[in-house]
Amino acid sequence: MPIIDVHAHVGRWQFHLTTGDADTNLAQMDRYGIDLQIVSASEAVVYDAVAGNAALREALESRPRLYGYAVVNPNRIEESAADLRRCLDTGRFVGAKIHTHYPGRLPGCREMAEAFDVVAEAGVPLLLHTWGREVTLLPELVEARPGLRVIMGHAGGDAWREAAHAAAACDRLYLEHCRTATDAGRVAYAREAGVPVERLLFGTDATLIDPCVSLGVIRDARFTEEELERVLWRNAAELFGLKVGTDLPPHM
Amino acid sequence: MSVSPHETYAWLQPSAEEHIGWDVDVMYGPWPRHHRDIHLDGVRAHLRRSPVAGALALSTRGPLFDDAAGNAETLRDLADCPELLPVGTVDVRDAMTAEDRLDELTAAGVRFLRLFTCEQAAEPGFPGYRHVVKLAIDRGMVLLHDGDPRRFGPPLTGRGADVIFLDLHAYLLADFLLLAREEPGFKATTRMLSGPDSIERVIDAVGPRHLVFGSRTPFMDISPQTLKLRYADIPPDARAAIATKNVEELLA
Repeated sequence: MPIIDVHAHVGRWQFHLTTGDADTNLAQMDRYGIDLQIVSASEAVVYDAVAGNAALREALESRPRLYGYAVVNPNRIEESAADLRRCLDTGRFVGAKIHTHYPGRLPGCREMAEAFDVVAEAGVPLLLHTWGREVTLLPELVEARPGLRVIMGHAGGDAWREAAHAAAACDRLYLEHCRTATDAGRVAYAREAGVPVERLLFGTDATLIDPCVSLGVIRDARFTEEELERVLWRNAAELFGLKVGTDLPPHM
Repeated sequence: MSVSPHETYAWLQPSAEEHIGWDVDVMYGPWPRHHRDIHLDGVRAHLRRSPVAGALALSTRGPLFDDAAGNAETLRDLADCPELLPVGTVDVRDAMTAEDRLDELTAAGVRFLRLFTCEQAAEPGFPGYRHVVKLAIDRGMVLLHDGDPRRFGPPLTGRGADVIFLDLHAYLLADFLLLAREEPGFKATTRMLSGPDSIERVIDAVGPRHLVFGSRTPFMDISPQTLKLRYADIPPDARAAIATKNVEELLA
C-alpha cells in the first residue's frame, strides 16, 4: 500500500533543526515508506514566493517522487497568478499553497479572496495553512468559487473542532492533521462531526516536522485497513489526479 | 521509478524501542475546555494499550478547582494503581496557603510538584509564583513546569533546581540548550521536539540526562511521541535514559 504525503516542504527553516535539501525529503520518505510527496519551497512560504517557486522547479526536475505546490502570496496577487501558471506549465506542480502567518493575511480579507479566485481559476487543489477560528469562513468562501478544492493544512491547528465542522459543511474542504502538538481525538471528532473518510488526507509538514509524528496520529486513529488505504493515498491520488499503482510508476 | 508495495507498515505496530518506563505528563478527570472528559479508569485503560508502563499522574481537580482537595484525591485514587505515582500541585493564585500544601505533599512522600502557570495565568515575576517555587526548591521537590522555558527558565537558574519543562517546542530548542548547558537539573520532555533531529541535537549538545518522556495523556496522542523515540538516531542507552532511567534517578 503506497503513501502520499500532501503537506511537505523543501528547504531550510529558521529554527534549530536540520531540514536539508530535496534529497533529505527523499531520505525521510525512504525511511518511512512514503512514496510520493507534494512539497512547497520553504523560501517561498516565508520569504520570496517567486524565487522559492523557481528554486523548487529546478529541484523537481530530477526527483519524480516529489510534486510541487506553487506558493501564492496574497499580497502580490498579479505576480503570484503569473507565477502559478508558470509553475503549472512545467507539469511538475499539481497545486497551490497559501500560508496565512507569513503574508499576514487570513480568510475573510480582500487579498485572500483574490488569491482564492486565482487558484480556483487555475483549477488545482489549494493547500491552505489553517490555524484559528477563521476556518469557520471557509465553507462560504469555497462554495462561492465553483471548482475550488481546499486542503485545510494542520486541520485548523488549535481550532481543530471548528475546522472539523467547516469540513463537514462543505464537500470541497479536506482535512490534513499534521502538527507538533498532536491533540488526541481530532480524527474521531471530525468523523463524528460528519467529515467522511474520503476527505481526510495524510500530511507530515516534513522536513520541518519528522514524518513519524503524523504516522503516530494515523496509528492512534485506529483506521480499518480500507480506511487506511483511503487516508494514506487513495484520497490524495483522486484529488490530485495522480495515478498510483503497486507496480507501476506514478503518472500525472 | 516504481512504487513499492507496503503490505504492512513497520510504524503501525509498537516496537521494543518505544517502551517507556516513566511518562511524567499524565492527568485524569474533567477539563471543561475539552469536548470529552477521561476519568482515571479510562486513562489506565488507555495506557495499558500503549507502550507506556508507568506514569506520574494527578487529578485535574487540583490545578483547575481546589489544590488541597485535588492532591488528596490524587493520593487516594492512585493508592490502588501500582503503575501510577502521584504528583502534587499548588495553585499559584493562592500562594499564602502554599506552605501547608507542600507540607502535606512532602509528608505523603510526593516528590514531584506540577505547576499550571498557563491555566492560572501566572507570570515568572508574580510574587505568588516566586513564593511557591522557592518553597518547593527548598524542600528539594522536582518541578514539573508548564509554559515557555525562555520565560520561566531564567528565574530558575543558579538555584540547584530540578525542573522538567513540559512544553518545550522544537522552535524554542536553541534557548533551552543555552539554559541546559549551565543547569544540570534542567530537563524537558520530548513531546513537542518534533524536528527531524531535535532529540539528537539535545543529546549532542548537553546529553541524554536533559530529556524525559511526557505524553500529556489523555489529551495528546501517545504514538507520535513513542515513535519519535523509536526512530531517533541515538544510542540505546540514551533512549533508555530518556524513557526510564532519568526519572528513576529523580525518584531515588
